[in-house]
Amino acid sequence: MRILLVGTVDPWTRSVATIHKYVEWGRILGHDVSVYGSNNPELPRLPFTTDIDGVDVAIFLVQVPSDFPAMPGLARIMDQLPRAKRVVIDLWGRYNETVRIDHDFNHLEKFDSHPAWEWIDAIDALSDTVLQPTLAPRRDDVRSFLFHGFDPDAITTNHASARDAAAAWSEAGRVEKPYGLVYVGSNWQRWTQIRRILEDYRDVRDRVGQFCLAGWDWSQRPAWAVEMGLKGINTDPELLADLGVEIRQGIRFDQIVNLVSQGRFAPILHRPLFRELGLVTNRSFETFYADCIPVLMLPQDFVVSIYGRAASRLVPGEHLAAHLSAVMDDPEPYWDALLKTRQYLAENHSYRNRFQQLEGLLADREACGAAP
Amino acid sequence: MNILFVMKHRGNAGSTHAVANYMRLAPEHGHSVAIFGTPIWYVPELKFSMDIAEFDRVIYLFETELFRIKPLYQAIMLARFPRQDRLIIDTDGMYNELVTVDGYDFNHSTEADRAQWIAYMDALGDRVVQTLTTKPAHPKVSALSFFGYDPALRVDPASAPPKVYDILHVGHNWWRWKEVAKELLPAFDKIRDQVGEIGFLGLWWDGPPAEGPAAGPSQAFHSDPYAFKRLRIKTPGAVMYSDVIKTMSTARINILTQRPLLRHLKHLTQKYFEVFCADTIPLLMLDEDHAELIYGRAGRELTLPGRAAEKILDALRNPDRYRSIVEDVRSHLVAHHSYDQRARELFAAFRS
Repeated sequence: MRILLVGTVDPWTRSVATIHKYVEWGRILGHDVSVYGSNNPELPRLPFTTDIDGVDVAIFLVQVPSDFPAMPGLARIMDQLPRAKRVVIDLWGRYNETVRIDHDFNHLEKFDSHPAWEWIDAIDALSDTVLQPTLAPRRDDVRSFLFHGFDPDAITTNHASARDAAAAWSEAGRVEKPYGLVYVGSNWQRWTQIRRILEDYRDVRDRVGQFCLAGWDWSQRPAWAVEMGLKGINTDPELLADLGVEIRQGIRFDQIVNLVSQGRFAPILHRPLFRELGLVTNRSFETFYADCIPVLMLPQDFVVSIYGRAASRLVPGEHLAAHLSAVMDDPEPYWDALLKTRQYLAENHSYRNRFQQLEGLLADREACGAAP
Repeated sequence: MNILFVMKHRGNAGSTHAVANYMRLAPEHGHSVAIFGTPIWYVPELKFSMDIAEFDRVIYLFETELFRIKPLYQAIMLARFPRQDRLIIDTDGMYNELVTVDGYDFNHSTEADRAQWIAYMDALGDRVVQTLTTKPAHPKVSALSFFGYDPALRVDPASAPPKVYDILHVGHNWWRWKEVAKELLPAFDKIRDQVGEIGFLGLWWDGPPAEGPAAGPSQAFHSDPYAFKRLRIKTPGAVMYSDVIKTMSTARINILTQRPLLRHLKHLTQKYFEVFCADTIPLLMLDEDHAELIYGRAGRELTLPGRAAEKILDALRNPDRYRSIVEDVRSHLVAHHSYDQRARELFAAFRS
């Protein structure tokens, strides 16, 4: 298949890592995957094109308004590629009624100028086929496709056994593991959860090690958030300083796993909207490439449905400090859970699976007689 | 047909007045017209709409700026209006080769800029019309006069506002300075003591826009406020499109200029017709053949180039003779350029 991915690609944010995986695995599996647009010298491994001749399917990756291509590209794609060859993957749950939860939202006109109906009409305009990266889309006309995946070849360190892994992890000194916890992600609707983690972390800080928080706008609440009254983008510089948290700016997508591997633990958390809609992100899977123990700050049933049963052990429940201490005391069972989870992800969420699922969805759609 | 105009709407410039006329006339032809956007409080008579699904035709109207709407709206429109239901109106000669007039005015500053425009318009639709009465140079483009004369807007001399100016020029200082400096100011200089108030009403006669280069090429805004001061020329601010004709009627003579590019390409503008609705004597900075093309034979009598000082004095001294010429032009405009006719042409353009 010739697959054209349509959406903005930014080396610092959103789905850039997953897009690289689609290009890479597309080649392995005999597909030609390219990204719509002009070459980006910052992303030399991505093949960009504006040629839409021979495209079998254009996949619109919708997250933010700028993911809709500017003119004249938008008209070329929409006029020259029939609807049957267009698919939308709605990565942020825009194609829903408005959801507001814990200051988070899928539509907010004052923020991006678009109320609910505009998102829904615009996505309808692109395609009849809308996919969302959740196991349980809310709308009957949306189908589940997780999009993001797991690439076992990207695991940084393959341990022969849980025992070996635990030993290496325990013995790692400050050079190999300068941090106790590493979280990479921008300050966007995550502060409430990060603060809760920090409050628990206080009790085990000396034992676990320093917390590294990498991403945009953690050091202070940005002026634009204050101006717009967006409460989901908050921070507490005094608390961060008090706990000795190292703040870093955002980092490029291809340096994230290396940074996360410098910590003993890496929390995985989803912003409130994504928890509500059950949406997964690249980070949901990518964190498992790093040589550290993920801490799944997610609902148990969601964890089991995405990561498999073994991953339950990586969920701290209500007592994060106790969980971290327990892992420090006896890491082997947790490494065992981690290795089993990686295995589960490789079996169930590989990019090979994703391509098969995508082909299946497209075939189903053809069988149902998608509009030409 | 329900027609949605996508355009940069400005109350004091551009094509807003023309579209307002189409809005008013459309129901008489069984159609409706609106501009894409949300209502503007100071022009309550203009119908705006964001409800794209209510429309079945779209007109993208481009002036000198490649006006873009937000991509989400554009996607909805592209899905709603198939290519055959889209019409592109190019009022400023942008769908052309690179054209530079007298090393001064131009349609595109570079070939890359031109290519960007052409690519944009080609992607958007198959039909481009230019606001001309004659066949356009570019083979893809056809002519659609678009702007027209509405006799209903004529100002009755009995109810006209009092005359404040002997000479008035209504229009922004956008590529007009060279002509004003070369032809009009020397003429005013010659006859200044024989005429009353002179006014240049519009933007940028006192200086360039505050936005700086973002507003456009600096040479488009050249002016000489000291020359204006020396010649006692007033520069009142711009008025809303709905007040243009009334304002023109405050002068005995109105001078029509046109930016060199549009005159070279023979593009029509709304001003060509507004000035003949006003209670005034229009004098035209057009050559005689050009004037006849639009206004009929009588139009030749109203041209200024090469004889501006004499013609202005003659018009001020013999108003009845000039009023008679103006009436002849108005009869020609009613016969050939009425908005009713324009509305038929516009709606027919979608059927062709």
